[in-house]
Amino acid sequence: MKNSALSTSWRDGRQWRYGSAVMLGLSLVALSSGLARSADAYLPIVMPITGFLSVEGGSQRNGAVMALEHAPGGKTIDYPVFDTGTSATGAATALDKALSNGKPIAAAVSVFGTEMVAMMPVAAEYKVPLLTISGLAKITESDNPYIFRFLPNDREIKVAHARYVVEKLKKTKIALISDTTAYGQGGFALLKEDFTKLGVKPVYEDSSIAPDTKDMSPLLAKVKASGADAIVVHSVAAPMALIVKQAKAAGITLPIINSSSIVEPTATALFEPAELKDVCAETPSAPETRATPKIKEWADAYKTRFGLEPDGLALGQYDGVMMALTLIAKGAKTPEDLRAALQKETYEGVAMTYKSNGKGDLSHDAEIVCWDGTSRIPKVVEHYAGPDMVLK
Amino acid sequence: MITFLQLVINGLALGAAYALVALGFVFIVNATGAVNFAHGDLVMAGGYAAVGLGSLAQIPAVYFLPLVAVIMFVLGVALALLAYFPLINRPPSTVFISTLLCGIILQNAFVVLFGPQAHAAPPLLKSGVAHFGEIEISVQAIGTMVVAAILIASQYLLFTRTQIGRRLRATAEDRQMAQAVGIPAFALIAATFGLGTALAGIAGALLANQFFVYPTGGIPLSVYAYIAVVIGGWGSIAGAVIGAMIISLFQVVVSAYVSYAAATGLLYVTLLLIFVVRPQGIFGERVQRRA
Amino acid sequence: MLSWFLSGIRLPLVLATAALAADALFFANPYDMRILTLCGIYALLVLGFQFVFGHAGAVSLAQATFFGIGGYITGIVATHFGAGFLVTFPLSIAGPVLLAVVVGVPVLKLEEHYFSLATLGIGLVVLLLAIQWSDITGGTNGLPGIPSIDLAGLVLSDRRSVLYFVWGLVIVGCLISYQVTRGLYGQAFHLMREDRVAASALGLNIAHLRFAAFILSAAYGGAAGALMAHVIHVVSPENLDLALMVTCLTMTVIGGRTRIAGAILGAILIVHLREWFRVLENYYMIAYGLAALSVLILAPYGLVGAIERLRAMLFGRSPGPKPPSVSEQAPQAAPAGHYDHILAAENVTLAFGGVRALDGVSFTLRDGEIVGLIGPNGSGKTTLLNVISGLYVCDQGQVTFRGRDITGAPAHLISRRGIARTFQHIHLVDDLSALDNIALARAGIDGAGLLKAISTVGHDRLLERARRIAMAAAERLGITSVVMEPCGGLPYGTRRRVEVARAIATGPALVLLDEPAAGLNEQEQLDLAERIKTFAADGITVVVVEHNLVFLAALAERLICLDRGKVIAAGLPDAVRRDPAVIEAYLGLGASEPIPIAAGAP
Repeated sequence: MKNSALSTSWRDGRQWRYGSAVMLGLSLVALSSGLARSADAYLPIVMPITGFLSVEGGSQRNGAVMALEHAPGGKTIDYPVFDTGTSATGAATALDKALSNGKPIAAAVSVFGTEMVAMMPVAAEYKVPLLTISGLAKITESDNPYIFRFLPNDREIKVAHARYVVEKLKKTKIALISDTTAYGQGGFALLKEDFTKLGVKPVYEDSSIAPDTKDMSPLLAKVKASGADAIVVHSVAAPMALIVKQAKAAGITLPIINSSSIVEPTATALFEPAELKDVCAETPSAPETRATPKIKEWADAYKTRFGLEPDGLALGQYDGVMMALTLIAKGAKTPEDLRAALQKETYEGVAMTYKSNGKGDLSHDAEIVCWDGTSRIPKVVEHYAGPDMVLK
Repeated sequence: MITFLQLVINGLALGAAYALVALGFVFIVNATGAVNFAHGDLVMAGGYAAVGLGSLAQIPAVYFLPLVAVIMFVLGVALALLAYFPLINRPPSTVFISTLLCGIILQNAFVVLFGPQAHAAPPLLKSGVAHFGEIEISVQAIGTMVVAAILIASQYLLFTRTQIGRRLRATAEDRQMAQAVGIPAFALIAATFGLGTALAGIAGALLANQFFVYPTGGIPLSVYAYIAVVIGGWGSIAGAVIGAMIISLFQVVVSAYVSYAAATGLLYVTLLLIFVVRPQGIFGERVQRRA
Repeated sequence: MLSWFLSGIRLPLVLATAALAADALFFANPYDMRILTLCGIYALLVLGFQFVFGHAGAVSLAQATFFGIGGYITGIVATHFGAGFLVTFPLSIAGPVLLAVVVGVPVLKLEEHYFSLATLGIGLVVLLLAIQWSDITGGTNGLPGIPSIDLAGLVLSDRRSVLYFVWGLVIVGCLISYQVTRGLYGQAFHLMREDRVAASALGLNIAHLRFAAFILSAAYGGAAGALMAHVIHVVSPENLDLALMVTCLTMTVIGGRTRIAGAILGAILIVHLREWFRVLENYYMIAYGLAALSVLILAPYGLVGAIERLRAMLFGRSPGPKPPSVSEQAPQAAPAGHYDHILAAENVTLAFGGVRALDGVSFTLRDGEIVGLIGPNGSGKTTLLNVISGLYVCDQGQVTFRGRDITGAPAHLISRRGIARTFQHIHLVDDLSALDNIALARAGIDGAGLLKAISTVGHDRLLERARRIAMAAAERLGITSVVMEPCGGLPYGTRRRVEVARAIATGPALVLLDEPAAGLNEQEQLDLAERIKTFAADGITVVVVEHNLVFLAALAERLICLDRGKVIAAGLPDAVRRDPAVIEAYLGLGASEPIPIAAGAP
């Protein structure tokens, strides 16, 4: 054997060092996790803390943490946070790590549909319920019994969105726009279906707006040319904010009805209040409006704890984790107990009453909020619940 | 009413912003030959600097733009010390990767410092729209175009008319030779990274008003700068400006007639076709490989 | 075979691998098994990327695209048609390979940044298709429900069997990579990457090598992507995007660009870095970036290179292999038919940006003569050699070699027909031994190829024969005592002789030597002149470009003098020296003395 690429490379002796390093690392991890397991229950948080959806992931993480810090019944909960990096591969791996790391009773997991899809087989493997607020319709439409969702299914909330435009605003010439993210594409398909069921065919459709698009004038030119009387947008925050701002700057006065990402306080902060005139949005709940005393109390506590205005994502995740914690306090000891209880119990949360429809969807309420051009805090103009959010 | 002319004007305005982004990139290319893939993230850093300074003092950006440039100059020298000098004798792809890693570090530093959400920086002079007959154009876009024109012209003059420019080019071509004839190559390279980054910062401060600044916002800008510089011809300033204009033309004008996705696809297909016809870029010179 | 295991530190390596396998077998929890499986998948991806990036030296940004296409093919075929692994896996390899074949020809012609950007552009187009073509691909949300690996009814549903299966494929991937890179073919990549000019002048078809590397990288990428789809059970645009490409690049650079162990180590380290830092939340990508950057800076040749250096520091360099004990003369390429002159140049003209470097150059060479090509600096001597050897294409005129028109033919074909050359500036691979540098002369001529390399069992006979021929060439140049030294460490004069030996090892009919005596002392010059004369005695025609007329006087039978791209004189050395045009060109107008052979000589 003469020297050649492999024979020299085999001589490096890196492997055993790697091996011992990994084993040392693993034993340290095992040791530390063993020591940390003195709490009553282990409920890891697996969410996109970095990457494209870190705003949404951060909100839901805060909501979960707030619930876990105030677990009822004097229980102490161990809740390490695992970042998914806004990636399906990362999410499956992170959930795997979280669930193999102790005896989990449940996990609070990502708002991001693609990540949910990747995490579902892992949950089924470990038989641990996942508490999520991801709207992606299909996650509760497969036969996975471990998914529990505490915000409305996008399929339902898009019905509210479409009905408000058609029935309340009486608009029939609709420009339907979404970005190319998973969120945008999913909402676009549902809205299109709902408008069709309501007897309205959009006069303009565009689901190809990349989330980093800067100049929206070609889009607005096409919308104007189509003769639309309302603009319906389903998109993540940044492109939506650009569409609204540039439409206002170009003197377009059509009402713009958005998906919930614009309701997040970090998104409204990008606007001058006047730019939000005649802008509306759907949202599962709007805690920043502090509409009820209960919500006000919660929203104030949230702001004190995190220094931020709360949003619907945080509140939904808070209610979901709090429902699970309440059931644990009432005696659910194993993941299976908890799964059964989540399936049949009713829970009075801060935002609404939660009750599973048998498929793991517990939330069936949505609000339409609008801005009047004087403040960044919107007003609730319409409430949809339960059967209102199903179209035949 | 949004007319074709309006779209072309909007395209030029966005193209000026992209040209400004490409300018810092091509500056570093011309003086060191290095591809700085953290460039887009440095543009974002400039945007964040403007957001931070704007929140401290409620004044138009034009007053603190020089301060943004100074902060970014320091950041650029730090980047050179961290990601360029230690790798100066390695294959060029090593610097490509070290700057990519610096980009990742920057993106996540933004999340820690400013949060994951988008921010808007104060306008250069004031917000609002100027009207020229039927055509309307935001004051910020006019400001961006003016600043871009000034900086493009200055960089062109620097490289073609001044001693320092010639020294920079000599250093990029052959560092050892440059040092042998007494050019202080290391100081020049450090200054180059500083200036290129300052240019990125100015671009970021201007872009962050209209188009926001967010942690991952720099990635497409790095790609655009790279595309602009390559389409135009490696190291050509005029080429980079034309390249930036071509990108914005597709994004703003072509996309008025086809979907955004199709316009983007057409941009990349055009790029590939340009390579088939002119493998050296639009303004690049065809050279026989030196033997 | 036992000695193979005991040499170097293979033994601890084998033991470590066994320990790791035992760990996976008995101790690993499901999460560890997933991580190790991911490491295997990334290792395959990186092994593939090493071909194009490491061995061919081209920064392709399409590796993630190949990975994603492989994943999507598996996802689409498995979910829409219910096909098993034995159908989906070959398709997932074939798809990216097909794309690489289609785009490879135009894209691989591009240089450096243009190549990188073109591959990036292709990736972005594919990404756009995956997002927009949502009926088939599931759009941004991706395609869920991809089944586990199904081997004709045997379903790998538990993690342990998936882990073994993936690593089994990694071993196959390593073996193929080993086969491709271990012999003369692998060294051809080495030369091409370090020095494309020398490679094509030695008869290597660079386009073929780059194409082969690109195809191999596509095949590995597709295989890795298919496995990932089965493991994660969903394929989405993130499998195609720039972030994955960055991860792949980082793994390759940190592990080692060309080493098989480097691919595995890079994948293992980067996957684990992310896992270790995951609990740092916001700070974890910063920590990851800093850690990766530190390795990049501190380990120039990747982790594998760092370990090798460490070992050399602790235990000393392992004794290199022995030189071959027998040598073999290079066979000379046979002429195609009858010819009058071995080389005839007629009216060769070449301009660079308006300056005529060559202006109507015509001359002929006879079999077995030694001709000196002289002329002042910038007169076009080296340019003329470049045109003859095919590195430059002339604007006008014709070059005929052994009766065949070679005008405009690619350098590697000209070399294979029997013209060899050396360079004014040395073109050797510093980290290969002198022997292997010389042996590389055979790679193109003896047709070292991909399929031949993969199917070689046991010793690479091509490499062994090339080394025997190299040994003979080294003997002719008197450098046998240093042939096992890396070229980078040899003295200048010796390196010059290595270059001449390499030219001779191609078995040429015509050798073009560009300033072979530069930097040699007088004694060495005379020695070299004697050795060159023996080439001519063997029927090899020699052209020597030289300023040094002492050296030429001892060597050349005829001189050709160029000035400003024109032949101003040609003939016997004495006559040329006395030619007024030559004197004017060298010494300026008005001088009348013949050019001195050297200072002090009459």
